[in-house]
Amino acid sequence: MLLRRIYQFLLIYALGLAGLLAVKYLAGLSDYVIPGFGALWRTGGEVTGRYAGDVLDTLGVAVVGQVVSVLLALVIGILGRQTTWFGSFIKVAAYNVQAYPIVAIAPIIFILLGDGFLSRLIIAAMICYFPLLLAVVGIMSEPVTDIEHFYRQTGRMRWQLEVKIRAFENLSKLTTVVSGSATLAMAGTIVAEFIAAGAGIGYSIRIALYQSDLAKILVALFMIGITLSVYQGMLERAGQMVKQVWAR
Amino acid sequence: MQLDCRHIHFRHPGTEQLLFEDLNLSFDGPGFHAFFGPSGVGKSSLAHIITGRLRADGGEVHFAGARPPLYTHNQERLPDWSSIGRHLERITPTAAVEKKNSLVELFGLSPLLKHRYSQLSLGQQNRINLVRYLVQDFQVLIMDESLANVDEATRVQILLAMKSMFPQGLFIYISHNVMEVATYCRRIWVLRGQEKAPPAVLVQGRDLYSGQHLDRSALERVMLEIMNAA
Repeated sequence: MLLRRIYQFLLIYALGLAGLLAVKYLAGLSDYVIPGFGALWRTGGEVTGRYAGDVLDTLGVAVVGQVVSVLLALVIGILGRQTTWFGSFIKVAAYNVQAYPIVAIAPIIFILLGDGFLSRLIIAAMICYFPLLLAVVGIMSEPVTDIEHFYRQTGRMRWQLEVKIRAFENLSKLTTVVSGSATLAMAGTIVAEFIAAGAGIGYSIRIALYQSDLAKILVALFMIGITLSVYQGMLERAGQMVKQVWAR
Repeated sequence: MQLDCRHIHFRHPGTEQLLFEDLNLSFDGPGFHAFFGPSGVGKSSLAHIITGRLRADGGEVHFAGARPPLYTHNQERLPDWSSIGRHLERITPTAAVEKKNSLVELFGLSPLLKHRYSQLSLGQQNRINLVRYLVQDFQVLIMDESLANVDEATRVQILLAMKSMFPQGLFIYISHNVMEVATYCRRIWVLRGQEKAPPAVLVQGRDLYSGQHLDRSALERVMLEIMNAA
């Protein structure tokens, strides 16, 4: 799973790069607009070490933001699964709030909290949180009637058992959702850094943009992609291990 | 122990057609009884009304027992996070442990206790599901095709064992097997649909117990009576 993710990313990155170079040579564009392969290689040698540190900095924020989002989505999803007015209220609120673009309120967070770690974390968590919440509420609200029937009939159903049954029956779906949310957390952190922060790979991309240095941006994209592929592969592996241990 | 359905009116939400109109039937005490009839006539729906899973549009279900009727069907599953033996241990009341052990033996499930539910055949799955209901403290148990996919010989063994082990239980067996219903059930309510009057007809079955001789000609008469009524 991990290797497949890396292969897939390398393939897509190579195709994208080949497309860019094709456009460059077909349209006769200068190295200033789209750098050649040699310039890319040189830039890679110069900035890879620094960008690796930046990407890890961003990933650290994204991971913490994702963990916060997953925990929050689980708590709210479990509360929102009920058919009471409170459950309905949570569901309606989640659907409505997620429709609002979180990036649009990012400047407010930066104005209030500054351009440090906390702002990046909050924006990453918020971007990651709502899709997670919708998925968790969807899974937790859906009864597994053929299993739950017995426990309801005999008065054995407790909320813990209900959550356990629904989580177990949808473990693959949950793993996919959590793994997919890693991309959102990373994207959220990069967006936050791109808007106003003073650290991370998003900040480095912003500087490269001001310098109109596409080679640096392409190296940064490579670093982001490879790191995210490894992280998602590890999450999927962890999901498989949880399922194996649970069903042992 | 008396279970009565009085003047039941019911239509499925969103449909025009009445499923039951002034349906009256009763079970007058413990024993093995049955609902019989063609598919779609409302056997499972009536079971749901009796157990409160569906609300009738009119009429009432009267049951004077201390515990509400239980309903089991052949599409239930056990969670796969532990073995069926572990599941049975967890849901068996302390007072019923001996009973559980006997049932597991009688139902031919002893060699399977370490297996997960998904590793069993359909017939084995239905048997383990039935066992977990039988170890509960029930007065009425409605079994909707609960022995589907179980071979003939094992079904006979299970039905006879249940009849001798639970003389105080009121069982309502829903099955399409006319011979089985005619042989082992006492009161057989044949549901006939709205186009026939009355909508339900009572037939007395042979109510065979372990060790009794089966009168073949009497059984044939009961089966004919059921088929004519349906």
